[in-house]
Amino acid sequence: MRLFVIYTVDGITNGMVYAAVALALVMIWRATRIINYAQGAMAMFTTYIALVVIRHGAPYWLGFLVALATGLVLGAVTERLLVRPVESRPPLNAVILSLGVLILLEAVAPMLFGGQTQSFPVPVSNIDFVVGTTSLPVSPFAVFTVGAVLIAMLLLFLVFQRTTLGLRMRAAAFNPEIARILGIRVGRMLTLGWGLAALLGALAGMLAAPAVYLYPSNMDEVLVFGFTGAIIGGLESPVGAVTGAVGVGLALSYVSGYIGADLAPLGGFVILILVLMLRPQGLFSFGRQRQV
Amino acid sequence: MLEISDLTVAYGGVIALDQVSLSVPEGSITAVLGANGAGKSTLVRTISGLVKPRRGSVMLGDEQLVGRSPEAIARLGVGHVPEGHGIISELTVDENLRLGGLWRRDRADQRVAIEEAYELFPPLRVRRSVHASNLSGGERQMLSIGRAMVARPTALLLDEPSLGLAGGLLAQIMQRLVVLVTERNLSVLLIEQNARSALSVADQAVVLSLGKIELRDSAERLAGDDALRHAYLGF
Repeated sequence: MRLFVIYTVDGITNGMVYAAVALALVMIWRATRIINYAQGAMAMFTTYIALVVIRHGAPYWLGFLVALATGLVLGAVTERLLVRPVESRPPLNAVILSLGVLILLEAVAPMLFGGQTQSFPVPVSNIDFVVGTTSLPVSPFAVFTVGAVLIAMLLLFLVFQRTTLGLRMRAAAFNPEIARILGIRVGRMLTLGWGLAALLGALAGMLAAPAVYLYPSNMDEVLVFGFTGAIIGGLESPVGAVTGAVGVGLALSYVSGYIGADLAPLGGFVILILVLMLRPQGLFSFGRQRQV
Repeated sequence: MLEISDLTVAYGGVIALDQVSLSVPEGSITAVLGANGAGKSTLVRTISGLVKPRRGSVMLGDEQLVGRSPEAIARLGVGHVPEGHGIISELTVDENLRLGGLWRRDRADQRVAIEEAYELFPPLRVRRSVHASNLSGGERQMLSIGRAMVARPTALLLDEPSLGLAGGLLAQIMQRLVVLVTERNLSVLLIEQNARSALSVADQAVVLSLGKIELRDSAERLAGDDALRHAYLGF
């Protein structure tokens, strides 16, 4: 029973990191109908920048803020310089482009930051809480991880649902042509959408790095798990994506705990393939079929 | 005054609009009639900036619209009620209405304009927090016109507002439109396949055929002259 609780807590904690990636993928999918395969690599890159800042003696939190800010800029620049020019072309062009960004970032990172695996600091202890003599199956960093992702989601929700900026962004995503004839500068909204998504990805990168360490392809698996979560959620639904991603986190935690840690990544791929084969529209989606 | 001159549009090599010239004075409705594929929608979409013309000019007051983006054209005062109403069905009625005026600086007047839209079309008020996907065809058309009006446009383009509406409801909406035109001194371009409905409210009318203006006359004369009506409009 105690093991089950440990695996469950681990699963939820990891799942929240996947959820941040899944939500970022959904935001970009809804705004521009593109799967951004570079989402993980962008997060890796911003995490490296945070590490550079921290290594230069700055406090963790400054590195944290720098990572988020760089994420915002990196996402916005990617949309403006790379995605926009292929906007009117078949969606596959942009998808291949995002694969190109992934390869580029993973190739440039070792040149700038070194290719070896590096440890990454935590802002609060990642050793489980102890009450009296019993240790609880949860660490301060796990609480921070879950809390940070929840707060980010809440803020995004408020921006999208409660502000006029969010209303403009939603209109631009739902129906760009109508938004334009209503005077909304759709291009800016898409740039901002990519920026916010990459900011969320950057958060995931900061939260994942202490556990998976930092190296140029450290976010590859996290991206696959987040992607699986988003697909389970149907790609359209933010709630579905978060639920799906936490589900993936739990499933992988149980696989790795009860069967073997080596099998966890494989388990992720098995879930992804099963979902794509059996229910490509996602478990939470009842609408039209997706075409790629 | 909305002044279209020598407007020519081609899709690939196919001419969709051929040297169309047309002026829509303030406080009046110009009906553009014609069969499917005559170029009616291309005309409004070109004015709105969604389609780039090969040649020609569209002036709204002193501003040249050709060459500007759709969002810039909207901000210059062109309201567009698109074909199939163009309601964003994932958003609520109120959100759709707010979208109409979000680009405007004057927040207080935005609220006033939204209130006016509800007064113009009272059925929308009771459904303000409902998702637009739940609206009837008539309500969607009201919402689309109301949304365009929230921007306080000087020109209004309506693309087939009669589509899918029952006669009584359509007449009601058209009556509202006529009141708006005089109250706000709007230049209205009314695209219609339903010539009978359009002629009943329009001041002048043109008949578009294969991208060219075949005929232009006062709406009254066109509606009254059986021979013309039979020849060009088929009723």
